[in-house]
Order: sequence, then structure tokens, then C-alpha cells
Amino acid sequence: MRQWLCFFILVIFIPAVQCVRTIKTSTWWDEHLTEDNANVMRRAVAEEYKQLTVDRLNPLKDEPWPRHEWDEKSRRVGLVAVKLGMMPVWTKSGERHVVTMLQVQDCHVIKHIPKEEYNGRTAALIIGAKNSPPFYRTEESLEMFRNAGVPPKQKVTTFHVTDNAVIKPGTPLYAAHFRPGQYVDVTAKTIGKGFQGVMKRWGFSGQPASHGQTKTHRRPGSLGPGGDPAKVFKGKKMPGKMGNVFDTAFGLKVWRVNTKANILYINGSVPGHRNCLVKVRDTILPHRLEKNRNPPFPTFFADGDEELPEDLYDENMFQFGEPIPG
Amino acid sequence: MAVSSRRAGGVVGSVRLLRSLQHQDGRLFSTSVARHTAGSEGQPPKFVPPSKPVIIDKAKSQASLRQFLSPEFIPPRQRTNPVKFAMERKDMIQRRKILNIPEFYVGSVLEVTMLDPHAASKTNRFVGICIQRSGKGLGATFTLRNIVDGQGVEICYELYSPRMKHIEVLKLEKRLDDNLFYLRDALPEYSTFDFDMKPVHLSPTQDVPVNQIKVRMKPRPWSKRWERPKFNVQGIRFDQCLTPEQMEHAQKWAEPWRQYDMLKEYDTSSVEEKILQEVQAELNK
Repeated sequence: MRQWLCFFILVIFIPAVQCVRTIKTSTWWDEHLTEDNANVMRRAVAEEYKQLTVDRLNPLKDEPWPRHEWDEKSRRVGLVAVKLGMMPVWTKSGERHVVTMLQVQDCHVIKHIPKEEYNGRTAALIIGAKNSPPFYRTEESLEMFRNAGVPPKQKVTTFHVTDNAVIKPGTPLYAAHFRPGQYVDVTAKTIGKGFQGVMKRWGFSGQPASHGQTKTHRRPGSLGPGGDPAKVFKGKKMPGKMGNVFDTAFGLKVWRVNTKANILYINGSVPGHRNCLVKVRDTILPHRLEKNRNPPFPTFFADGDEELPEDLYDENMFQFGEPIPG
Repeated sequence: MAVSSRRAGGVVGSVRLLRSLQHQDGRLFSTSVARHTAGSEGQPPKFVPPSKPVIIDKAKSQASLRQFLSPEFIPPRQRTNPVKFAMERKDMIQRRKILNIPEFYVGSVLEVTMLDPHAASKTNRFVGICIQRSGKGLGATFTLRNIVDGQGVEICYELYSPRMKHIEVLKLEKRLDDNLFYLRDALPEYSTFDFDMKPVHLSPTQDVPVNQIKVRMKPRPWSKRWERPKFNVQGIRFDQCLTPEQMEHAQKWAEPWRQYDMLKEYDTSSVEEKILQEVQAELNK
């Protein structure tokens, strides 16, 4: 009887269609650990990463790659930063502007892809930012970080780079890579607004609130010309999911760079919510290229000879330690 | 001119008195005698009043001085990295080392001098009662109200703007409400302050007095329905402008459940203490 029962139960629980997802051969990291041990592991990893950030150790033990001179055609690497918040900034003449604070947390170069492998035209550098724990990650994803000698990162992006601006994988990148007075482009995922109507999403003006409008106040109205095309053109602006897409803000000025806390003060607003990861790179706007001449090339090396003060200010910016005139 | 000659006459008189005393006593030290500047020949010497002595009473300890943390230092309750607030606080403290921003509340009378490149004397002075303090961090502002030539004027100043030259508290006091927008609908006597008002001294150990004044209003309609419970105005004489029926009718907009809203509770006492200690330590360096 019991044997019959077991066979019956076995028959029920084996799925008719074998789907890949349900059969997992690996275990998760704390499956065989007690809760205490798991907490100890988490804390140990967090402390180790904090220590690595504070030490500002360069994991490179052997020769760094040769450094070249900057020229007009070269494009250098960008950074990935965390959006902290916004605050006001004043010029020497008393005009008020707003700036966004972006903090560069644990930015490292992870891989170099040469021109031939990437797209035949430009080389690429893969950058990672913000240390994240190695738990719940596959071995394949951890391999890339292990080869660079760097803890696993939360965000990994690619930057197009000219051949004279390549950096050895494992080099840390700091906020002093950008200097005040320079112009940058910032890319991030915009705040998701969900399914939105046509007035909020595309800025349509809708219809009047009164004077006989029947049930039509925020609708798109006409969808196009009439019988001749007899269709709605592709790309017609209609309601749909808004936000949560990558967007770039171009031509933003860098007002101030804090080298100790690695914070960039960038003019205006930047897409994304607070504490989101953003990609910062030198501007591609042709009229701002003259402001970006002679940057630290290929990047700012912390173990080099340059001793930078804690705060670098733009020449027009009012510094709070200045005495009151008159 | 008459004033100066009167003053000079007074000084000369006192000088003569002192000299005569000196001859008698021989021990008199002359402090005020040396204080007049040498005027041009024929002109009586110009009276320069002696500098006020700063009395540091060592008997009264640091603990008895009233502690005040400016409200813009307290960070709002948000999901922001505390690094951002720390950086802002550093900038605010740096600015406070240059420009003295005194302790003041809504309801205090202040005098503010700003740098103005287009004015003849390059400065711009205004006296008024503070009706609002808003903003956190470096963008903190306060609004001063006064009535100039029969016209009500409100100016919103940024505390940390580089154009601020001098801020002085002429009368330090608190009011029953934390914003005084109802003064716009009150009789003008409650918002008029003399531009040459003399500062009223308050000892640094005393508690800040709360002005219990209840203001009389102009006839209705007002810019806002101040009788409604959402404004929670304590400082208006409602018995003189509204009937009890109208007061009862206003209570229809009461939201008695708001006092139990736990999400609106934000206890800042521990945060305030830590920040106060940090700010005082930095300023005293």
C-alpha cells in the first residue's frame, strides 16, 4: 500500500514538460550556512570593501600602461557617479545657480577591449562603480572582476575611447579626473512615471475644462490627417509608459570638485532619482570643446606627483571663506 | 549741527570738570578726555562715543547660555545620503565664520544690509519683522515685512547669499505662530517698524520672550481664511472679527485625525543635539 502511495506521489510531482528554470543544480551562498555565519560573512565583506575605499589602494602591482599626450581628437574615459542631491551656488557677482552633487564611489577600470574586437573604429574601456557584495552572483560575472583584481561592482558600463587614452584594468578613477570650468554630459535612467496620458508625456494642451466639452479634457484629439493616408503614422505620440529610460543631459558645467570626498558639483539638474548611478563623460557639443582643453590625460592618478587641494573651485564661483567686500 | 555743538559743549564742560577734579584729587584717570578726535582749528572737537565694554561674566557658565541651533541645519527626513548634508554644513559653517548670523525667530525685528551694485552707497538697508523662515541647508531664507509710506513691503532674503553684508536683531522675541502671513490682513500698525529703531537688549542667559499679542484684523475678505483649523492661527483676535457661528462653521474643515498620523512625526531632538555640538565645536575653532 505504502509503495503504491509513493509511486502515485512521484508520478504527480514530476512535471510533464521539463522547463529549464525549475531545475537548478547550484545552491545559493547561504543555503548551508547558519544565520549567524551568514551575517558574519556579510559584515566581513562590507568592512573589507570600506577599507579598500578608504585606503585608495591601487591594485596594480606591475607596470602601468604608457601615458600619452592629449590632442584635439582624443576622447578619454568617463566616470560613473552616485547622484547625492542638489544645492545652490553663487557667482562672484551674486547670481544664484543650482548644482547637482555627484559622488564618485569606487570607480575602477575593469577591462580594455581593443579596436579590432569592439567595432573596428574605436577602442572601449569597461568601467565599474560602487562595490556590491559577491553573493547572489554567478561565477561568470565574478570572473571579470577577479581578473581586474577589483571587488564586484553594482554598475558596469562601456566608454568609447581613442587609442591614446587606454588605461590598464584595475586603475581606480577619482573625481579629479574632471576639473572645474569643464563641460560634461550626464546619462542616467529617468524616474519612472508609469503609464501616463498624453498631456504629461508629450506636453499636449488637451481641451478646455468647460463650455460644453463632453468627457474630453485631457485626450489627444485628432490622430492625423483623414482619408488620404487613411492610417495613423508610426511614432504617433500617444499615452504609454513614461520614464525609466536612459536620458542624457548635455553641456553641464562643472563648478567645483572635492578631491577628498570625490564629489563633483555639476550645473543644473541631472536625470535620475537621488542615490542613482549616473554616467559622466566629457561633452560632445562642438561649441563647448574649447573649454575642455588639456584635461588630466588619460586620467587623474592619485599616486602621481600632483598634490591637489581639498576643493577645486571654478574662477567665477563664490567661495564661502571669502571675506565680505566693503 | 545743533546736536554736534551741544555734544561738543557737553564734552568741553565735562573736560573742565574732570580737569578741576584732577587738580583736586590728582588720582583721576582720564578715559573720556582722550576720546574726542582733534577737530580742525576753530571747530569744536568731534565727540566720539567710547566703545561699549564687553562684559564676559565668568561666573555664568556656558551651560546657562541659551543654546540655539538655526533650523536650516536640521536635515529633512528624506532618503538622502548624509554625506550631502555634511558637505552643506561645512559650507554653512565656513560662511558663518565670516558673516555673523544671529539667533532669531519668526516675530523678531531684524535689520539687514545687502550689497547692491546699482545703489549709490553700494548697500541696501531694510528693517522689518520676520514673518517666515523656510528652506534647509544653504538655500535657507527668511522674509521681512514692513510698511513703507503706507505700502506693505515683504522682502525674502537668503541667509547664505554672498550679497548679505550685515544682519542684526533689533528685537528678539517669538510669537504664538510659526509664520505670520496673517499680518497682511491685519491692521497696518502691527507691521510698521521704524527704520531707525534702537536695538532692544536681551541677556544671553534669559529665555526668549513669547509675545502673546493677538492682532486685530481688517474687515473680511482676507487673503486666506485664517479662521480655518488648517492654518492653526493663535495670534488673531477672532472674537472681534467673527461671530461664534462663523467660528463653528470654520471647524467643519477640521481634520482631527491628523494628530494621530504617525508618518508626520519627526522627532529631531537627538539629531539636533549632535548637530548643535558639531556646529559649536567648528565655530569655536
